[in-house]
Amino acid sequence: MKITALLVLKCAPETSDPVILANASDVSHFGYFQRSSVKEFVVFVGRTVASRTPPSQRQSVQHEEYKVHAYNRNGLCAVGFMDDHYPVRSAFSLLNQVLDEYQKSFGETWRSAKEDSSQPWPYLAEALTKFQDPAEADKLLKIQRELDETKIILHKTIDSVLARGEKLDSLVEKSSDLSMASQMFYKQAKKTNSCCTIL
Amino acid sequence: MPVRHGQSSFRDRTDEFFSIVETLRRSIAPAANNVPYGGGGGRSDGGRREDPRSAAIVQSEFKRRAANIGLAIHQTSQKLSKLAKLAKRTSVFDDPTQEIQELTVVIKQEISALNTALLDLQAVRNSQNNEGNISRDTTTHSATVVDDLKNRLMDTTKEFKDVLTMRTENMKIHENRRQLFSSNASKESTNPFVRQRPLASKPAPSQAAPLPWANGASSSSSSQLVSRKHGESESAPLLQQSQQQQQQQQQMVPLQDTYMQSRAEALHNVESTIHELSNIFTQLATMVSQQGEIAIRIDQNMEDTLANVEGAQSQLARYLNSISSNRWLMIKIFFVLIAFLMVFLFFVA
Repeated sequence: MKITALLVLKCAPETSDPVILANASDVSHFGYFQRSSVKEFVVFVGRTVASRTPPSQRQSVQHEEYKVHAYNRNGLCAVGFMDDHYPVRSAFSLLNQVLDEYQKSFGETWRSAKEDSSQPWPYLAEALTKFQDPAEADKLLKIQRELDETKIILHKTIDSVLARGEKLDSLVEKSSDLSMASQMFYKQAKKTNSCCTIL
Repeated sequence: MPVRHGQSSFRDRTDEFFSIVETLRRSIAPAANNVPYGGGGGRSDGGRREDPRSAAIVQSEFKRRAANIGLAIHQTSQKLSKLAKLAKRTSVFDDPTQEIQELTVVIKQEISALNTALLDLQAVRNSQNNEGNISRDTTTHSATVVDDLKNRLMDTTKEFKDVLTMRTENMKIHENRRQLFSSNASKESTNPFVRQRPLASKPAPSQAAPLPWANGASSSSSSQLVSRKHGESESAPLLQQSQQQQQQQQQMVPLQDTYMQSRAEALHNVESTIHELSNIFTQLATMVSQQGEIAIRIDQNMEDTLANVEGAQSQLARYLNSISSNRWLMIKIFFVLIAFLMVFLFFVA
């Protein structure tokens, strides 16, 4: 489950190519010579998908072994390159977060951008690393995961409680046997004591 | 032989009896008494040989009518089962609405006809009773027959109602599905498309219908671009584009649904998991409280044991004392004995 790249673009309404506002990609698992081509490919596909995504819509495109998720919100578009295992929902919530963060930090300045900005945006880079695990992006997934773990723990607890119950049952038996035996002991002692004098 | 009153196991025998009725009717045509009674007497096990031989034509009339009604009910229930099968089977495509409608109308007519026939039968029976001169068994038998037929008709009507409700539900589901695939009915082609590349766009809730159509065009062209990258055949790009456009529009709504639905589903899952967890917790609490009771019992047992052992120990201590004190007694007795001996010796010697 891997995110390969995250892009933020400004999508002019279908007139020109989208303008890249921020770019973060993780190409470490490609060979050294492929990295630059992969980066360009990412840029190109991102631009294409973003230009084809109508405003206020989400879109997922399958390209070779990647799924490209795009979310266009009022002209600001976030594109993410994920592999097939990454859950779609988490991808879109991640894109949501990215967009919110971008708007918070850059306000409306992006609207005037005319050419690709090459300044790296640190938030995007750390988001890329942080959200490799889809549970981080999607709270629901995290909650579900924790609930499942809790359930497993509870199952184990119940098993041990059952074992405890069995041990308690055996203890009850033993203690009742013990009390019976002690009672017999007492009666015997009383019998030998009370009866006729022994020579 | 007394007539056995209505039992629900009749239903299993009905088909056999009806076939027997048919054969009897064909073979023993002149013996009009036997056959209608055989048909009407198919309701009960006993009493096949008695009254009709001496009964009036009115009696056999009753039996014949009852047989007819039973047969008609059976046929209606058969048609009803066919209708139920049709209603269950309806898919979105070849909806046999026409047949279903016809069947429904036919069944309704038959049921109302059966109702009137049953009422007539009852009237006939009452007139028979009023004529007097009829044995008690016959009246009870005819009452049983009429009741049984009424029950059967009621069951058939209930089944009919169920089938109709199921049919309306199915129709509703189909309507929803049709709305989902808004434009047209090229539904088969969506599936392979969805499998390969889940392409879709989601119109925002505030924006209305015109947007999907425009978006369809743009997303279809994007899909075309992507498909060209995949190296698909470009033999009929226009045709492909229009197809994809349709498919796009159809998939937009389902994928929009998919996203929201998956979120809703995840929420539901979380909720159900929490419910399960609460269940598990209550069970755990129950078990622990039960075991607490067991622990209290163990505690009591141990206390009893302690008391017993302490008592036994005191007894033994007393016993020990008594044993040891016995020696003192014996010493004293010895002394007394020796004193006696001394006195005795003195006396003798």
